[in-house]
This record gives sequence, structure tokens and C-alpha cells, in this order.
Amino acid sequence: MLRFGPETGPVVIAALPLFDEANRTRAFTISVLRALADRGIASVLPDLPGTGESLVRTEHLSMRDLRDAYAKVAELIGNEGRRAYAIGIRSGALIDCDASAHGRWHLAPQSGADLVRDLGRIRSAQLHEAKPLPHAGILPNVGEDHVTVAGNAIPVDFLSELERCEPFDQPENLRVVRLATDPKPANVKLAGIALWRKAEPDNDLPFAQAVADDIASWTATCEK
Amino acid sequence: MLPDDIDQIDLTVRATLRDILGLSQERVDAFRSETPLFGALPELDSMAVAGLLTELEERLGILIEDDEVDGEMLETFGALVRFATSKIIV
Repeated sequence: MLRFGPETGPVVIAALPLFDEANRTRAFTISVLRALADRGIASVLPDLPGTGESLVRTEHLSMRDLRDAYAKVAELIGNEGRRAYAIGIRSGALIDCDASAHGRWHLAPQSGADLVRDLGRIRSAQLHEAKPLPHAGILPNVGEDHVTVAGNAIPVDFLSELERCEPFDQPENLRVVRLATDPKPANVKLAGIALWRKAEPDNDLPFAQAVADDIASWTATCEK
Repeated sequence: MLPDDIDQIDLTVRATLRDILGLSQERVDAFRSETPLFGALPELDSMAVAGLLTELEERLGILIEDDEVDGEMLETFGALVRFATSKIIV
């Protein structure tokens, strides 16, 4: 778990996307959290069960565990007398629903169903299928209860849970941010690189600064 | 469908190709209807196709069935825009 910023005031809890996109956005997210620290805002990047440095193997991933662990972090921050704000990048926006957060800020949130389709296509591409097979890409081998996509062993039960997951959508203190090139509705659109889609992990420092500016002004508004 | 909508689809497909394949803005601005894609752009490998399809689905609010994915819809920039447009009309 990484912590940045001052020991008082609001704390931002960042959730990276699930699976491969986490690797591609980790450096960027840490740049955002450092930039927030420069702006006097504290943050934490927890290793949720089955992600990052967690000792839980991905075969044992469960949405309940992810959400409970995230909510626990928010609770601990609350116990320190500080306000917690949820930051979700892509499918990280699926994890904060049960947390006692004063506000939620989501970057290019992805629904669970879209993520499952994505994983199926990636698996088909890895299996060198001429074209994606209907749902076959995401079916386990006979006798197995998980599928392996881009090196991640994912329980079939977790995929079923994901299919039904949507980002938190209650409008109060919710801010949705998207890339300037994304036509979907958003509270604000920022120019940047779709790092979560790049073949290799990368960073976009001007984008990270713009994101930190937006989070800082939004938390200031929520704090009033 | 209004001409503005078609322009928006064209722009979105262009921007998605730029974002997914890491192409420069100048390069995607120069794409014409007949510009070849699959087989002509080394960046567009099978993994990139997977990301491209899902990202187009997310940005355009469409669903692409797996049996609709073939070489023809990815052959040229114009073919991809026509495919995306047809999904939105339906």
C-alpha cells in the first residue's frame, strides 16, 4: 500500500483498474497522487485482495472481498477523523460502491460487462483464433474453475459477478471524467492518452497534472 | 441520421484508432475512406483489434457481435466507419 501527502485533511483512495489495465495505469496513477500531494491532498493506493502486492492469488478474486477491503480503508480513514474520497480509474470505479466516501471521482469508468467482453476478446487473440469466438474465449478448460487471460487466472464466478457490476451512479458528489476524444457524457473531458489501452505501460505527465488539478478543485468544492 | 452524427462517428473512429494504436494526430487526420487498415498498419495486430472493438463499443454505445468481426470491416478506414454507422442506425 502506498500513501502520499499530508497527515491531516481529506484522503483520496485510489482504485486501479482490474487485471492488465492496472499495470498500464499504475505509473500514471502514482503521478496523479504525487501531484495531489503537491496540492496538499493526501492519498492512499491500497493493494486490494488479489491485486497489486496482495498475497491473495487472482484465482481467489471476489467482488465482495474487493469492495469490503476498499470500504474498510474508507472506514479507517473515517476513524482518523478525515474525509475519504473515492477515485476509480476504469474498472476501479466498480469497487467503491459500498465505501463510506464523501464523494466519488471516476476516470473513463468501464462497466463489468464491457470488461468481460474485453477479456474474452483478449483471450481469443492470445489463442490465435482467426476471430473472437462467441463467449468461447472466456470459457474455462474442462475441469477448471478459472480462465487465464493475459497471465491472470480469473475465477469463472468472478466473471459472472463482473457481468452485473456497474459503476456507482448516484449523482450526489459523483464526478465522471473522460478523455476529450470520448463522446460519452461526462462532467469534464480532459486531453490525454488512453494509457489503459496501450500495449506497454506508459505515463502521460501533462494528463496526470490536469487530472490532479480536477480532483483538487472537485474535493475543495465537496469540502465546502 | 444527420450529417453531424456521421461526422461524429467518423471523428470517434479516428480518435479511437489514434488512442488504441498510439498513432499521431497528423497520421489519423490524413486517413481517407480508402486508407487500408488491417494488414497495412503494423500497430493493428490481433490484440489491438480486441481493444479497438471494445473501445468503439464503449465510446459509440454499440454492441459488436463476434460473428460480425471479419477482415472486410477492418479492411479500410471507410469500411470501419460504415460498419460503426450501420451499428448505430440499427
